Amino acid sequence: MFTLNFRILAVAITGFFLGSGSAQAETVSIPVLVPVTGFLSLEGTSQRNGALLALEEAADNLPADLDVQFEVFDTATSPEIAVNAFLRAAEAPNVVAVVAPIFGTQMLALLPLAREDGVPLITISGTASITEQDNPYVFRFFPGDVVVKEAHARYALEVLGAERPALITQTTAYGQSGQAHLSTRFIDAGVAPVLDEAVDVSVNDMLPVLIKAQRAGADMLLLHLHSGPTAQLLRQAASLGLDIPIVAGSALHQPTTADLLTQDELAGSCAETGSSPISGGDTDIDTWTQRYRSRFAIEPDAFALGQYDGVRMVLAALNEGARSAADVRQYLSRETFDGLAMAYKSDGTGNMAHDAVIVCYGSDSRVPRIERRYENVTGVR
Amino acid sequence: MTVGTTGKMRILPAWSIPTIVLAVVGASVLSGAIWGGRYDQQLLAMAGVWALLVIGYQFSFGHAGALNLAHGAFFAIGAYGSAIFSRTWGLDFLITGPLAMAFSALAALLVALPVLRLSSHYFALATLAAAQLVLLGVVNLQSLTGGANGLPGVPGLTVFGFAVARGLPNLIVVWALVAAGALVAWKLTSGRRGLVYTAMRETPLAAGTLGIDTSRLRIQSLVVGGAFAGLAGALQVHTLRVVSPEVAQFSVLVICLTMTVIGGRLSIAGGLLAALLLSHSPEWFRGFESYYLAANGAVLLAAVIFAPAGLIGLLAVFSKRPRPLVPAVSPTRDFKPNREGATLEISDVAKSYGGVVALDGVSFSVGPGEIVGLIGPNGSGKTTLANIATGLDRPDRGKITFGEVTLSGRPDYVAARAGLARSFQTPELPVTLSVRDAVATGSRRGDENAWLAQVGFGRSRDQTCGALDHGSRRLVEFARALATEARCVILDEPAAGLSDGQASDLAGLLKNLAAEGRGFMVIDHNMEFLMPICDRLICLDRGRVIAVGTPKDIAGDPAVRRAYFGDPIL
Amino acid sequence: MAALQLLVNGLALGAAYGLVALGFVLVLNATGAVNFAHGDWVMAGGFVAIALTGALTSILPVEFAGGGAWVGLLLLPTTLVVMAGLGLIFCRVAYTPLKNQPPVTIFVSTIAVGLILSNGINAQFGGAPRSTPPLFGAGQFSLGDLVISHQSLSILGTAIILIGGLGWLMERTQTGRRMRAAAQDPEMARAMGIRVDRLIAVSFALALALAGAAGLLLANQFFITPSSGGALMLKAYLAVTIGGWGSLRGAVAGAMLIAFFEIGVASLTSQPVAEGLLYLVLFAILFARPQGVFGEAIGHRA
Repeated sequence: MFTLNFRILAVAITGFFLGSGSAQAETVSIPVLVPVTGFLSLEGTSQRNGALLALEEAADNLPADLDVQFEVFDTATSPEIAVNAFLRAAEAPNVVAVVAPIFGTQMLALLPLAREDGVPLITISGTASITEQDNPYVFRFFPGDVVVKEAHARYALEVLGAERPALITQTTAYGQSGQAHLSTRFIDAGVAPVLDEAVDVSVNDMLPVLIKAQRAGADMLLLHLHSGPTAQLLRQAASLGLDIPIVAGSALHQPTTADLLTQDELAGSCAETGSSPISGGDTDIDTWTQRYRSRFAIEPDAFALGQYDGVRMVLAALNEGARSAADVRQYLSRETFDGLAMAYKSDGTGNMAHDAVIVCYGSDSRVPRIERRYENVTGVR
Repeated sequence: MTVGTTGKMRILPAWSIPTIVLAVVGASVLSGAIWGGRYDQQLLAMAGVWALLVIGYQFSFGHAGALNLAHGAFFAIGAYGSAIFSRTWGLDFLITGPLAMAFSALAALLVALPVLRLSSHYFALATLAAAQLVLLGVVNLQSLTGGANGLPGVPGLTVFGFAVARGLPNLIVVWALVAAGALVAWKLTSGRRGLVYTAMRETPLAAGTLGIDTSRLRIQSLVVGGAFAGLAGALQVHTLRVVSPEVAQFSVLVICLTMTVIGGRLSIAGGLLAALLLSHSPEWFRGFESYYLAANGAVLLAAVIFAPAGLIGLLAVFSKRPRPLVPAVSPTRDFKPNREGATLEISDVAKSYGGVVALDGVSFSVGPGEIVGLIGPNGSGKTTLANIATGLDRPDRGKITFGEVTLSGRPDYVAARAGLARSFQTPELPVTLSVRDAVATGSRRGDENAWLAQVGFGRSRDQTCGALDHGSRRLVEFARALATEARCVILDEPAAGLSDGQASDLAGLLKNLAAEGRGFMVIDHNMEFLMPICDRLICLDRGRVIAVGTPKDIAGDPAVRRAYFGDPIL
Repeated sequence: MAALQLLVNGLALGAAYGLVALGFVLVLNATGAVNFAHGDWVMAGGFVAIALTGALTSILPVEFAGGGAWVGLLLLPTTLVVMAGLGLIFCRVAYTPLKNQPPVTIFVSTIAVGLILSNGINAQFGGAPRSTPPLFGAGQFSLGDLVISHQSLSILGTAIILIGGLGWLMERTQTGRRMRAAAQDPEMARAMGIRVDRLIAVSFALALALAGAAGLLLANQFFITPSSGGALMLKAYLAVTIGGWGSLRGAVAGAMLIAFFEIGVASLTSQPVAEGLLYLVLFAILFARPQGVFGEAIGHRA
């Protein structure tokens, strides 16, 4: 406990020196709260990298008298740690926005805090319910389930002509949210899934659910699974010789997921996502991808790009003269921002991203090509 | 102990260690409340939640010694219970808090009833299965629990209709409840009440024969622990204002168990300190960036290695040895039994293990004031008979009554409560307790000193039973059996390990106690010891009574000789 | 046909869980304590194999490295050796200082080691799921409609060899007899001149070697992340308790039962239902047979 008091003392002392010293530069803080440990550390690390890249590049584009401070706080796997991280991060000077975790459950815990503090949360969490809490402080820079699952369903129904789809999801927050949207969407379209099953992330062998899909006479597999389970299911489907189309959730667009599979196993499968930075075809995204690779020595994914765009929009607000959390929130809720992945504009509840893409893997490349774009799915922009 | 325990370091009285620890905990919470910001207050409030969870775990895991892996699930049930009731109907915490406790206590009861008879590992497995079912339920019963996402919009604490704000007010309510919980736990486990737990944990065999209903006690500790967990869960969700399946993850139990072991399994002060330290420690290591949780693990490992008996155990190095829990009372009382004598009636008792017959139609009785010796070669069934008579084992056939009470087929504590006590071949004494406290585990009247004096125990009564020699242990065990107000005592080899002088003192004592109306069944080989004191001798061989009679008759009985020495070859 | 395919996959999964459970039982028998880090050691075994793959491919001549099959075959023994070495260190750090403490204290020290492993590996390797090379190349063959991957056979084969080898070691050799004697009554064994501490260290080394084998094989078949350890630990714990605390054969039987529910029952119901049923069945069996599912009838608690 003595450490606790030392910490308070240290904060007080630094505050004293900061206060008496540099009065010239105005300081704003954008803390980064993401899960970099635990079962969401893959997605959380993408999120962190995207945010860091934007913040590290910020200095070049911002007014000289503005100093942007940022620090990364791990939110691990529970709402408790996310709340701790938020309250600690909120002690930074003039917090104008917070990069908030991809983990929907943690977002739900942070929302009331953001409202109390009046600080906007910049996230890429796809969980539908976070923008349904009537909370004006959440801004989502990755298409939510309302958007990507619509694209997912449209591609399956309209392009591939699904008649007997099997829906395989995960029993996590991510999985249940996607399952709810996909299932309703297909039932509304008159094409009720022949199998609608959720599996735990710790499940190793996907054979049971594949055999059930086979028995049900599925003509297509619709997945909404995390990275490892997605790869596992694709591999076992290929091994079984299950020759039906597979349209997966965003996990399959991640290069780390594709790395687990052979070309044969990948070929022909598709995935929904907000963007696919490694797919190429856009000069700005390509140079961004280069910068990302050289900074972090890994391949970027849509989560990183979405979070990058989100932070960039906050920085744009600062460039336009915003100096407080209220200013930034105003800007985010009113303006349209032309990001790298897409143009972002709030639908009034904090959904900023309204475009989704379907990417597919061919038989000759491990980089997915963008097969279809579904722009302005919800008609907001 | 990794730290040297020289006498010079033992300068503090035993009570001072928990007092100092409590003062440190109190000062930390106070300083955080007064000088800390929201972050410090939030961490302290969560520390309070963990503290209540740990105090609850000290009941089931600490005092009852049961590796209960469902404690985290009880936490989750309280969390969801309070969240759902307050969120749906806007109920006050004064209602949802007790409701949460009731739900968790009920869940604990439901788990406890069917699985308590399981031995340790299977008990752990069954409670683990129950916990996993709860996790599975909260994740998959989406309409009730919100599924894996959990339920947002859980209100903060409201007490008497007043919303308790985040930060300091919430912190005050949480720690007020921690203080109240700690007080209740202390009341329930200190002094003589605590002795009962120690007896059950350290001498599971003897506990029942002292009249302790161990099943009931274990259920009670699980249920009380469950209620604490429920309260902790309720406070957690109103502090975080969201409930999600993370509260039902196995990791909650793992953290709680770690805190309990690091603090000290039986020490409330230690539990509070560990909850405070371990809920803060990951935050302290955030400077290690991506390695901070690994660093936290390393510190945890160091803590276990350097303080294996818990932080309280580590600090106890500086304290004098604890004084006995029960006060010393001078030995002045009437030793006459306060109940009428009763007859132990054993009729046609049979028992076999697998195919081996241990007892085969044994019948005899021990009347008030009678001393009956039970002899026979090794394996003739003497101890089995003692076990069956005192309810530690069930007969396959036959009946045992004591006075008006039927004992056969009923739990062990029934015999003890009816007034039938016993000693064991290898004395069953709680090694960590002082001599006086050990005898007090049997006593209902605070007369432990009197009985120790009566049996002729002349050494220090403040030393622990673990430090006693074999003969002294026998005497202490005998005093404990008598302290239960027994009307009849079964003694399993009471003279073994005693010096000749001690043995003859014991013989005289037995005579006197019998003269006051107590019956004795004495199992022994030592004919020199038995001959002068016994009214009758009964000889068992291979599970059958082969001879009954006065000591003189038996000594000359050829069947007895054969049983002991085999058929004469020549 | 589907039933046969399920059976093949179930056997492979059960064998993999069996390897996990066996390592857990070894330490349990040697120390009487639950090694809660065992799941994390299996995960660590996978990452050791991944790190070794990098090292081996850079050392080996190109023709071997490129071939794939050789890497897998060399990988198994090297992983076993490295993990056995880590087992000795683990024993020295987390067990030896606490050997006179109650088992639950050791339980907590292994919890701490598990935290170090999962979080340290996450920080070092990142959170992405990873895969190890297959033991004998990545192919599969078909028998009619039945598809059997080389890796499934490798898992079964390795498990049979290692489990059989362990059984032989424990029951037929002097070391094994001493290990069992030391497990049953360490004091008596010490009195008879058996070097109990050394045997316990051997148990740790063997246990972690098994964890390494399990990690290597599981990571190829099912992928692995730094947070995989928890679920594996739970399965090993269930398997060992179902099988009768401390029994080697029982642990393998318990692992097979869990795999049967995960694959067989799940194919007839659904995964969450199958998981719930497993726990309910455990509950019911324990209610009927309080001495354990396959546990030998232990006499009275006295």
